[in-house]
Amino acid sequence: MRKDIYEKMQILADSAKYDVSCSSSGSENNHKTGELGATHNSGICHTFTADGRCVSLLKVLLTNFCIYDCAYCINRKSNDIKRTAFSPRELADITINFYKRNYIEGLFLSSGIIDSEDHTTNLILRVLKILRHEYRFNGYIHVKLIPGADERLIEQVVSLANRVSSNIELPSDKSLKLLAPNKTKEKVLQPLKHARDISLEKDTKPIGMSTQLIVGATPESDKDILKLSSVLYDKALLKRVYYSAYIPVNDDKNLPALVNKPPLLREHRLYQADWLLRFYDFSYDEIVSDEFPNLDEDVDPKTSWALQNLQYFPMEINKASKDELLRIPGVGARGVMKILKARRFKSLDFDDLKKLKISLKRAQYFITCKGKSKSKTAFYREDIKQAIIAPPKKKIIQPTLFDINYSHITGEL
Amino acid sequence: MILVYDRTFEGFLTLVYDVYYEKLKPSEILYTQPKTLLLDEIKEIITNEQKANKVLKAIKNSFPKKTFELILNIFMCDSKEFEMDLLKYIILGFKDKNELFNINNFEVFYLQNLQKELFRSVHKMTGFTRFEELEDGTLYAKIETKFNMAYFLGRHFLKRLNNQKYIIHDIDRKIAFIKNDDFIGIQNIASFEEPTLSQDEEKFKKLWNTFFKSIAIETRENKKCQQNLVPLLYRTFMTEFL
Repeated sequence: MRKDIYEKMQILADSAKYDVSCSSSGSENNHKTGELGATHNSGICHTFTADGRCVSLLKVLLTNFCIYDCAYCINRKSNDIKRTAFSPRELADITINFYKRNYIEGLFLSSGIIDSEDHTTNLILRVLKILRHEYRFNGYIHVKLIPGADERLIEQVVSLANRVSSNIELPSDKSLKLLAPNKTKEKVLQPLKHARDISLEKDTKPIGMSTQLIVGATPESDKDILKLSSVLYDKALLKRVYYSAYIPVNDDKNLPALVNKPPLLREHRLYQADWLLRFYDFSYDEIVSDEFPNLDEDVDPKTSWALQNLQYFPMEINKASKDELLRIPGVGARGVMKILKARRFKSLDFDDLKKLKISLKRAQYFITCKGKSKSKTAFYREDIKQAIIAPPKKKIIQPTLFDINYSHITGEL
Repeated sequence: MILVYDRTFEGFLTLVYDVYYEKLKPSEILYTQPKTLLLDEIKEIITNEQKANKVLKAIKNSFPKKTFELILNIFMCDSKEFEMDLLKYIILGFKDKNELFNINNFEVFYLQNLQKELFRSVHKMTGFTRFEELEDGTLYAKIETKFNMAYFLGRHFLKRLNNQKYIIHDIDRKIAFIKNDDFIGIQNIASFEEPTLSQDEEKFKKLWNTFFKSIAIETRENKKCQQNLVPLLYRTFMTEFL
């Protein structure tokens, strides 16, 4: 039974949608005369789906046939779903035509395991070779490595792709054993480690790598997750770790029963913490500790850190160093740059900050300008937190219509 | 005093010249004669190439490169009223060029932000522009944007569609960036006919729409977030929103 190309696209895009990674950023601008395609350092979003996620890459599976049976995965062997596959030629043609119409920034290629790990990796390689050698395509390609594939094959993939990744999915070996019986942490990390070693040997710029962790399917705390992320950033040369709120797609006795809503807020807080790790020079044990292993859902992690460390505050805007300014809740990297630029010419007060469009909503509790503070809130942890969660509302007295004495018959007062 | 100029770059430079040498004190700068009766004096600026060149040369010589580029970029923001601020900016620069980096000055901060808005908008359009393939293989895109950005987009696609022929057509401003074997650059388009599309065009549009629909996760639907990220303003020619 043959399926037409539209149905194939529908099935294989649908199967790939739970992979959150779709960024094309962080690669060098690399255009070459006479070739098709170039990567863009900042990445470009080409559209946004109905769930508000960026579409930058053509994210599909080569096939959704799979020999594995991971409990959380929609494509697992024991699920009764429609199965199909693109031929490498078909997929390469679609990619080129989408690219020419500026629908996409490049290709994100993942695959179920068909036949064997090596066979699948070979199919992926075919697609890459057609794109790179035949069509002279120079755009972005992200490949999901197949754990357990031959190292020489992985090497070839790494040399043709812009970024490779391998999803760890679960933050601990125990959870993996429970939910993904065919995988171990070793096996999942093996292709990433190998790819890292290749790029270290070559002494070239390391290839970008990323991974994904599922949040909320197993009982790990935010501390376990962030610790893992920060180790991955430090050691494995990873560029990004993605977090994905667990959405039940299968029924399984090992999965948490009936979650009403995916833990989206927790996912959001984890991303905020992740940004602190990567761009604000925080370490994971500053953000979470044994005492508070989970992130505070009421306030963002930076505010939460500031509340735990009030001894550094209030900070004087005109004197604090760049690193110190970066630690003020509600002031980001751009805000810090503006402050640094502006204070070269004059000493700043709150009006100046307002003119520079720096948000004081949270920052006002933690800063002083020329020694003066703006907030009237007492400088205690609980008071500030309360003020941030529920800012005091202005009192408006609404006169009611009915408390005046008037005649019921004529309406006269 | 109200100044009226013809909205060209040369016209604006002439205006700078006149303000400087005739010591005018404008309260407003317009590009059409006001229809209502105003008590203020109105002066029309007559574009003069010599004056314009003189000012242009002076700016080029004494302004840092970045600020000169900013002046050019601001002129692409044609849906905003930037004239008064730009005039003040240029006067400020002639007095003390270091002040052009002091963002405590209102006009410096405003113009820098306007330039950022332009770049942000260009960046969005680099993703949201949609090409269609014509019979002869040329890629053709219509755009409708709040700023004049055909040039920026053309330059962007020069890198990635290097071996292709393409046209980026700004419908409202009646200009197009054209790249083919013997011409690369902006041209005026007085009138045009809907071109014939290639045979494959429908197939790939349909495929793209199929992909776009099935990639969304229903349980996480958030239309408001989507609209914040792709405002309706940008959707006029986007295949998946038609």
